[in-house]
Amino acid sequence: MKLSRLILATFFTVGWASITLRAADKADFIFVNRGDIGTLDPNRMSWMQDIRIGYALWEGLYALDPDTLDPIPGAAEKIEQSEDNLTYTFHLRENGRWSNGDPVTVDNFIFAWKRMLEEPGDYTYLLFYIKGARAYSEAFEKDPKSAKWENVSVRAPDPRTLIVTLDNPTPFFPDICAFPPMFPLNQKTLEKFKHFDQATGRTTYDAAFATPPNLVTNGPFMLTRWQLKVGQTLTKNPYYWDKQHVVSNTIESLVFDDPLLALQRYERGDVDWLAETSGDIAAQLRDAGRKDVRIFPSFGTYFYSFNCQPTLPGGRKNPFADMRVRQALTMAIDKRPIVRNVTKLGEEITSLYVPPTFPTYKRPTGLAYDVAKSKQLLADAGYPDGKGFPTLKLIFNTEFNDHKLIAEIMSRQWKQKLNINIELDGLEIKQFQTRLHGKDYDIARASWYGDYNDVSTFTDKYRSDSLNNDSGWINADYDKLLDQALKETDAQKRLDLLSKAEQILVTEVPILPLYHYVNKYVMRDNVKGIPLNPRNMVVFKKVTAGR
Amino acid sequence: MTTQSDIPAVDHLWRRMLANRRVLFGGIMLLVVVGLCVATVPWTLFHSESRYHFDYQDDMLPAIAPGWQVHSDPLDQTSPLVDSRAYIFGTDKLGRSILGRCLMGGTISLAVGIAAAMISVLLGVTVGMLAGYRGGWVDALLMRFVDIMYGLPYVLLVILFKIAFEPFLERALGTKASANIVTMFVAIGLVSWLTMARVVRGQVLSIRSQPYIEACRAMGLPQTRIFLRHILPNLVGVVIVYATLTVPVAILQESFLSFLGIGVAAPMPSWGSLAAEGVSQAFQPYRSSWWMLAFPCIFLGVTLLCLNFVGDGLRDIFDPKREAAKI
Amino acid sequence: MFRFIAFRILQFPLILAIIYVGTFLLCWVAPGDPFQRTERPLPPQVAESLRRQYHAETWYGFLVYYPIKMIQGDFGPSFNFPGRSVGQIIKDTLPVSATVGLIAMLIAVIVGTFIGTLAAVYRSRAPDWISLTVALVGVSLPSFVVAALLRALFAFEWDWFPVGSWTWSPKEMVLPAVALSLLPMAYVARLTRVSMIDTLSSDYIRTARAKGVGRLKVIFKHALRNAVLPVLSYIGPATAITMTGSFVVETVFQLPGMGDFFVRSVEARDQTMILGVVMIYSSMLLALNLLTDIGYTFVDPRISVS
Repeated sequence: MKLSRLILATFFTVGWASITLRAADKADFIFVNRGDIGTLDPNRMSWMQDIRIGYALWEGLYALDPDTLDPIPGAAEKIEQSEDNLTYTFHLRENGRWSNGDPVTVDNFIFAWKRMLEEPGDYTYLLFYIKGARAYSEAFEKDPKSAKWENVSVRAPDPRTLIVTLDNPTPFFPDICAFPPMFPLNQKTLEKFKHFDQATGRTTYDAAFATPPNLVTNGPFMLTRWQLKVGQTLTKNPYYWDKQHVVSNTIESLVFDDPLLALQRYERGDVDWLAETSGDIAAQLRDAGRKDVRIFPSFGTYFYSFNCQPTLPGGRKNPFADMRVRQALTMAIDKRPIVRNVTKLGEEITSLYVPPTFPTYKRPTGLAYDVAKSKQLLADAGYPDGKGFPTLKLIFNTEFNDHKLIAEIMSRQWKQKLNINIELDGLEIKQFQTRLHGKDYDIARASWYGDYNDVSTFTDKYRSDSLNNDSGWINADYDKLLDQALKETDAQKRLDLLSKAEQILVTEVPILPLYHYVNKYVMRDNVKGIPLNPRNMVVFKKVTAGR
Repeated sequence: MTTQSDIPAVDHLWRRMLANRRVLFGGIMLLVVVGLCVATVPWTLFHSESRYHFDYQDDMLPAIAPGWQVHSDPLDQTSPLVDSRAYIFGTDKLGRSILGRCLMGGTISLAVGIAAAMISVLLGVTVGMLAGYRGGWVDALLMRFVDIMYGLPYVLLVILFKIAFEPFLERALGTKASANIVTMFVAIGLVSWLTMARVVRGQVLSIRSQPYIEACRAMGLPQTRIFLRHILPNLVGVVIVYATLTVPVAILQESFLSFLGIGVAAPMPSWGSLAAEGVSQAFQPYRSSWWMLAFPCIFLGVTLLCLNFVGDGLRDIFDPKREAAKI
Repeated sequence: MFRFIAFRILQFPLILAIIYVGTFLLCWVAPGDPFQRTERPLPPQVAESLRRQYHAETWYGFLVYYPIKMIQGDFGPSFNFPGRSVGQIIKDTLPVSATVGLIAMLIAVIVGTFIGTLAAVYRSRAPDWISLTVALVGVSLPSFVVAALLRALFAFEWDWFPVGSWTWSPKEMVLPAVALSLLPMAYVARLTRVSMIDTLSSDYIRTARAKGVGRLKVIFKHALRNAVLPVLSYIGPATAITMTGSFVVETVFQLPGMGDFFVRSVEARDQTMILGVVMIYSSMLLALNLLTDIGYTFVDPRISVS
């Protein structure tokens, strides 16, 4: 203590006494979000941390049940579904209010959805399940003046009724309705941030509308503070229709880029919940017998992607065009060291793609670890003992050290077991994304998190026409099964079709599945209202610190 | 007051270097570290089945603390002992020898430092001499360029240069590893020549105005002869000093890039990348893998300290007037 | 004098314009799409629409459009943090970096000069060795190691200083400022030492000593004044660099400063952010360089600015 006094006295002889620490009034619930918020404009929200705050501020036509995260009526109090599952009729709540007191009307939804299609963002594609939405968005991009909004199947017979028609029976549409791209906007409060370009017919909104004190929302909370890189304060929305069930009056979200620092603040008692921590920390807390670390399955898979196009970038011959080579490389990997030494959290090592979070989904069988078979397959493909196999490169992004360590394990194992040389090519994230999406790689580290609660959010990625299919793998049977599933109205039959599709995928292995992700929460025992749900989402309505 | 007669004779220089304890001590330590790193290259780089090899992974020995005895299964005290000399500094998360990786990392880091120093000598001396000797608009133009380069944050230059040019080099050189190292050399070299250029220019300017140079001119000696015989030798001291001081700066810059995740390509280690990995492991709440940070940092710290000692000492030696100062 | 200052100030726009173009070209050749903010590839139509919103459909369009907006004081929205404008981000983060940076420079100059003088006076003896070794630690270890060590000891282990919160309390600034000061401190110490040795051997100091002026008085009153000159030319640019923030220190101590934002924006190819920060940084550098040159003439009237 003496030394610290000395240092302080030296540095701050002047002014030290005059400035006293401001005693901060503590919020009812304090948590550390995943990182700083990128934006709270529903059009551009795409980061996990943005979406998490989004759920506290807004409420879609459907909302998520705070405990189960199943879609339940939100801004709409009554929802009718047609027999063929194609038409939804939403009846809005009479007492639905914005945080400035305005009533929530159908116009607010139509305005927001129209804006989403006209100025699209990462998640605009989720609106394309609505009949005519994709065509409108594409037409508007070409020429704003000739695009016809009437062709989009969204009708409002009166200010509290909304009728939406879909292209296909989409069992997860209610889920999407709860998701940020479908949130309503109060157009009146956006008016002063509007720029209308006469020449092009396009309207844009200044990002300042989504910052306090300008942001007006219709959810349980409203945004009262947003301090860059420090955090946000959410305050109970006094006009929210269900405000008697909102437990906490204020919620503070903090930003810590370094998980160690976040943990220190937690240990000091400043924080109630760490929404994410590093694998190292979680493993140590668990090994120390701490009960406040919660490790549970997540909604994502970690895998490696093979480039399956006929030739590799630069016109080189592609050994991965041969399915046997992909299978050989897949079966040669012992995945245990990865979860034991690197990720350390007992993640489920896997030979499958879809995570184990769908109870009614029948999981297919993948390729097991079998070095002898793997050597045989490689020999059959014309590379006995790795002879003649070209030196290929494995790309990965370097901002997380674990990717590097896993790549090092993989390349070492391939060398040892198959005698083939896979060079490591660590890339900075932007370069990595460009190469991966441009199919400019040999082997790439990859992962996928589901967007909505359905198997198709995974299986759609490897359709031959999917923008997300960055393996270049094309399989007509696979596409056909997905198409059948799209039209299928029976839920279980639909899942079985998707399961058959996944069976093709994990047999032909355009991807080498490694393990399923886990979520890692550090959370005090008395915290209530945060479900341990794979989808890692929270509806803050019921959250309380229990202090 | 630098005149030609002030340049110490070669044997005189040696004697002074030996007499300067800073240079002597720093030099000897440096030789030891460099010698160790270079002499072990056959094991750390080429012999891939050696436990000292930088990428030899033992799945069963992740994050083993330093010690004389290592069991092949760390949880079972009755299991047979393995060749533990390689693990005397402990192992990293993948069960690789920290000792081997420190030695290999040293080779890489020193190479980065030396390459950057060479580039900065080449570019800095050329630009500085040109500017100082030609003067006029050449001087103005070159120095404004240097000013502008100073004005650009070097993080931006290094990162963007590395990202933009590594793919080109990879195509030209064929392998990723060599392209990565060469870009690293050039990227760091490119930002470290600025000081050298300024210093050399200043030195040339002051030499040019010395009476003996004017005498040479008056005697009608050709420009090139004046330049080569009378100006260039006077620059040697300053150039050596600043080159020595560039090496530690370059090594630190590489470590910063490693911290950002864009340093030397994995699995190749450098002291910087080892320290960056160690720093995330050493301060963990329950199990601190301090050895992953401590050993790379001892290597790095000692080397950089010695380089700075030698650089500072050389500066004293090449400026003989300072010998007298005592108060 | 005034002509000199006016001339230098008139040069500023030209130099800034060149730096702008240089930065811009670097951003543009670097591969990577700034609009690609998640792992999902953006549909081409969405990418096109976003580019249009930022006036970045073509590189020449953006090159021309952006400076015009910038002169009007509008730095535009950030590519990577679309919810914030670059101007707002700079306004929020620069004061933090600048405050911590200024304190750091203050520490660096005071302690550095002290160490350098000590080393020069006791040249080649124990205090010289010890003080210089201490000063050199700052340039002998990566800053992320030193900062993490400081944090582990003074914040985690002993809990003397709070880290990870920002309420503008001086207590929060101590550790980051110390961590940030180590590098300039080492330079100041070395520069002071060398120039102090020079000054101490000059005739007027010897004369002063011979006339019986006290040792301390000679050192601090007569010698130091002249010895700080080379230090001064270093302090100018170093202050600009320190005040615009350091990525490492801001990451380790979680400061809401500009250095961290800058490096992240480079990683994210956030062009508006990069250009905005570079322009601020260069302007500060130019201004401080000019101030240094002017300051020179006051400390040493023999030097004329022209």
